[in-house]
Amino acid sequence: MRPSLVLAAVALTVAALLPLTLDPAGYLIRVLTVTLLFAAMSQAWNIVGGLANQMSLGHAAFFGIGAYTSTILLVNYGLSPWIGMLAGAALGAAFAALVSVPTMGLRGHYFALATLAFGEVMRVIANSWPSLTGGPAGISVPFAPDSLLMLQFKSTLPYYYLMLAALVLVTAVFVVTKAGALGYRLRAVKENPDAAEVVGVDTARVKTIAAVMSGGIMAALGTAYAQFTFFFDPETVFGLGPISIRVALIAILGGIGTAAGPIVGAFVIIPLEELANSWLSAGTAGLSQLVYGILLMLIILVQPRGLVAPVEALAARWRTRRAR
Amino acid sequence: MTDAVLAVANLSKQFGGLQALRDVSFTVAAGEILGLIGPNGAGKTTLFNTLVGIHKVSAGSIRLEGREIAGRKPHRIAALGLTKTFQNVALFMDMSVLDNVLVGALLRQDLRSARVTAAACLDRVGLGAVLHKRAGDLSFPERARVELARALATGPRVILLDEVMAALNAVEMDAIMGLIRSLRADGLTIIVVEHHMRAIMTLCDRIVVLNFGQKIAEGSPAAIARDPQVVRAYLGREYQA
Amino acid sequence: MVVIQALVDGILIGGVYAVVSIGLTLVFGVMGIVNFAQAEFLMLGMFVGYLAWAWLGLDPLIGSVIAFAVVFALGCVVQHTLIRRVLRAPPVAQIFLTVGLLIVIENAALLGFGSQFRSVTTPYQTSALRLGDLFISVPYLAAFLMSVVSGLALWLFMNRSWYGRAMRATAQDGMAASLMGIDADRMRRIAFGLGVGLTAFGGAVILPYFTVHPTVGAQFVVLMFTVVVLGGLGSVAGAIVGGQAVGIIQSLSAMAFPVQLQNLVLFLVFITVLALRPQGLVGGAR
Repeated sequence: MRPSLVLAAVALTVAALLPLTLDPAGYLIRVLTVTLLFAAMSQAWNIVGGLANQMSLGHAAFFGIGAYTSTILLVNYGLSPWIGMLAGAALGAAFAALVSVPTMGLRGHYFALATLAFGEVMRVIANSWPSLTGGPAGISVPFAPDSLLMLQFKSTLPYYYLMLAALVLVTAVFVVTKAGALGYRLRAVKENPDAAEVVGVDTARVKTIAAVMSGGIMAALGTAYAQFTFFFDPETVFGLGPISIRVALIAILGGIGTAAGPIVGAFVIIPLEELANSWLSAGTAGLSQLVYGILLMLIILVQPRGLVAPVEALAARWRTRRAR
Repeated sequence: MTDAVLAVANLSKQFGGLQALRDVSFTVAAGEILGLIGPNGAGKTTLFNTLVGIHKVSAGSIRLEGREIAGRKPHRIAALGLTKTFQNVALFMDMSVLDNVLVGALLRQDLRSARVTAAACLDRVGLGAVLHKRAGDLSFPERARVELARALATGPRVILLDEVMAALNAVEMDAIMGLIRSLRADGLTIIVVEHHMRAIMTLCDRIVVLNFGQKIAEGSPAAIARDPQVVRAYLGREYQA
Repeated sequence: MVVIQALVDGILIGGVYAVVSIGLTLVFGVMGIVNFAQAEFLMLGMFVGYLAWAWLGLDPLIGSVIAFAVVFALGCVVQHTLIRRVLRAPPVAQIFLTVGLLIVIENAALLGFGSQFRSVTTPYQTSALRLGDLFISVPYLAAFLMSVVSGLALWLFMNRSWYGRAMRATAQDGMAASLMGIDADRMRRIAFGLGVGLTAFGGAVILPYFTVHPTVGAQFVVLMFTVVVLGGLGSVAGAIVGGQAVGIIQSLSAMAFPVQLQNLVLFLVFITVLALRPQGLVGGAR
């Protein structure tokens, strides 16, 4: 068996057993649940950012679409969030396809700028359409007794497993995509779009497929988030800093384009943020964010390929030595 | 000519105010090796890029096996059987040699069989031993061969080779020329842009000469070598020296 | 008449947008980097202008010069310690380094200045000139005139001084410029300093009609990008036209839409221009 598979199996076993040792309504399990969610979100971003190498700064758009779609359907029509999740994912995917049209020819900075604008458009719309979204005041998921059908629980434990399942699923999608024909085509497009076209790769199509997958998954995770927090407003789900930049940062910290990257990144950043918030925030608004920004710049300057890269290099050296 | 695999008629290409190609017409018969020559800046690479759809056609028609391909995207044209190699080598540098060629093979095959095809194409160009090297780590002549293998893997009818012999020594050049001939023997139609006159003259059945974006001559290698206009424009210095 | 009034306001405000965005376009032109943190330097400029008013009693129009100088120096430091290191890095590093800078500056300001809104008071704050049926707001006019002057000064600097020419040479080909004895690193330092300094200057001159707080930059990010994208990234002349266009679009859309939706109009213009002509509407082939 390949060492990475062994590692994944061990990590998954630990992740599955760990909460049994924790207080099911405690603080620690909440942090872990959020960490798993952000790892999954970042993994979804990784499909566009890592495989297609398109630096999206607008993934909050999809996330918010998912959160609002399921919650609005739940509040207004009493529909199960599972249905809302499907509807949200469909809308998120459709919006991703729509965004792909004008951003198709854009690369690097231009793509980042355009996606940033799309994210902000959604934030502005959510803020200025109170009859649908509740506007800046936010929207609440109506309380219901514990039920898997309505995806609502008093304890954090079920959410933990929900997010863990989500992370496993998204990671599986990422790995299968990367290893499959689409993954090869995306890498080709990332390296040299002209050459890829000339040897038969429909660059527009593969980029759109990646965006649609990523957007749809991101929206589904938005629903999971809404059910987990019960309350959110446009700034929390459509926010540039809280979502768009954060999911990108997590992937970059861990290692962009690798399956382990977003997971490692999330397990570093989210607990760190929580620590910073609980230690520093008393009276010093901004300090934890300041630390966060400094961290981001340090990563870029010191280890731009992410935390996973040196480990991988070490593993590769070890393998070649053993092969000899 | 009715058996033309590729028929180019009155092809023009403008970049802003610059007329890069003007009214270029020629045909290529099935199984032919056509040479395309001309001084630097004559429009050879522009012509290739226009044929495969990287540049949009300004005016004129390009027919591949009777089908109009002008205005189609490169991947559609590749699917119809026309592809090219890049003059300055445009490999996917961070991917392995095998994966580079694999991308081309994926055009008509699933992943599993594409892998087999890719390995076979690499064998054919003599790179069977470096499948798992990173493309960016290859020498320049090796890279040109990967280009060729990648183009072959798409299963083309017509293949445009843009200076695949640049930077090769005499032995390597003979090997590539042998390879090109064997491709023709397999039914491929080939257009070659090359600066080495010896290679062009011995390899090609026919030659088209471009200068300032226009076709100034067309004919057998022997006839081209004697054409006074061509000699003045281009051959004078290099071939007769 | 209402439309003409909106046009006049738009042109006056647009002048400031132009100067603020020239900084962004200058940084891109010389270094090929989109500075996502640019609007934070505008916020810093506003704070310098505010402090000059609060501590020294200086009018913001004079304080704007101090704002320029302070932020220019800061910009040189930022260029030298941070931006310089990613000039040859892939876009992902360039994008996220300046995004990190954005977060750092905004939150440092939050720590340093607190989150309350502040504004200056000037004698001309509410006065307006009357031209027939038109009202011309004095603070708008003053900010506009200051912007025109700084724009002219930049033009003179870029076209008439050795530094300006050296900087343009660096923008076109840093390697060649180095070979000709130009210290390209130094030119980039000055360019970055100048870019963020100008933006800070623009921030200070709008103090008479704009309140300042640490997150004010967020209101300008997309606006500035819209301006430079309209005009073509890297084009100074384009930024001037783009600034006017955005000013006018904003004041005209203010007649039809509530405040939040004005931004929406701007976003849509931004996305449309990016999609159709990423090289900008004004700039030609380049």
